[in-house]
Amino acid sequence: MKIKEGYKLCKVRDSSIVVAVGDATMDFNGLVTLNQTGELIWSMLEYGAPDGEIISAIVKEYSVDEATAKSDFDEFTASLKGAGFIE
Amino acid sequence: MSTYEIAGLTVNYSAKYDHLRKRSAKYRAAEPSSTPDISINVTDGRISGLLSRPNELTLEECEYMLTGQDFYTSLIDFNGMLLHASAVVFEGEAYLFSAPCGTGKSTHTSMWQRYFGADKAIIINDDKPAIRIINGELLAYGTPFSGKYDINENASAPIRGICFLYRSPKNTIGQLPQPKAIHALLNQSIRSSDFGTMQKLLATVGDILERVPVFSMGCNMNPDAVTTSYEAMKKGKVL
Repeated sequence: MKIKEGYKLCKVRDSSIVVAVGDATMDFNGLVTLNQTGELIWSMLEYGAPDGEIISAIVKEYSVDEATAKSDFDEFTASLKGAGFIE
Repeated sequence: MSTYEIAGLTVNYSAKYDHLRKRSAKYRAAEPSSTPDISINVTDGRISGLLSRPNELTLEECEYMLTGQDFYTSLIDFNGMLLHASAVVFEGEAYLFSAPCGTGKSTHTSMWQRYFGADKAIIINDDKPAIRIINGELLAYGTPFSGKYDINENASAPIRGICFLYRSPKNTIGQLPQPKAIHALLNQSIRSSDFGTMQKLLATVGDILERVPVFSMGCNMNPDAVTTSYEAMKKGKVL
């Protein structure tokens, strides 16, 4: 799973938002706010971390069990796919 | 090429047509500048390109719109941004009312003028004020670019608050939490497809949120809409 070129995670004070830049602005002109888990997943996807590594990071960061972390990860990446942010 | 002073910046452009020339007149600088902050060049090609699109714009209006668009895109480089809003100055402070076209932001600020007096509540830009952070302070500026009507003053004032309007049978107002305020501000501004410019714009949005409260208000056309917005914004504090 990889974030498509042109989608960038930015910080505005303590909010994390995703904006489109370059050619991606033709497909997407909105913006999306990420919660903390979303931000963690996004930034790991950005540097190409494999799914398993991201799920372990969620387990560690939020002290949740692996099944919860996996379902959070699946739900979030499904919504990113739906929005066309990952390929 | 003429030099104008807009939002504290020296701006060079040549107005080929009367519409832009007349509207820019009160911003004309006393001395021409060879080193302006912003240089705008709207080519005939861009004007005819916009003219050929399905819209109701005249040739002269196309030049005016494109010049405004270039100005507001460049403004992002100077700790500033456009807000699609009607800006009214009262008691030395600016109150900005933003909304999508047709919601009634101009109606709302003209109600302020009727309520407080048109000599006390001054509309410095009825559609596209410039916002800038100068020496840590957030200011609203009148500019020649004010949409359909030429309602603007070559003036500035510190911003007291920003309010996003929607129509409602009852007047109701509340402060917007940070993520919603970010969306609202960006949706009523000019974005850039360039990442560096976008980062500057987002930094300005962050600076705005640190300095002034942002509201959402459901409003009707009764005079108590004015007291509702004024009283809430007057005592609003940054979240």
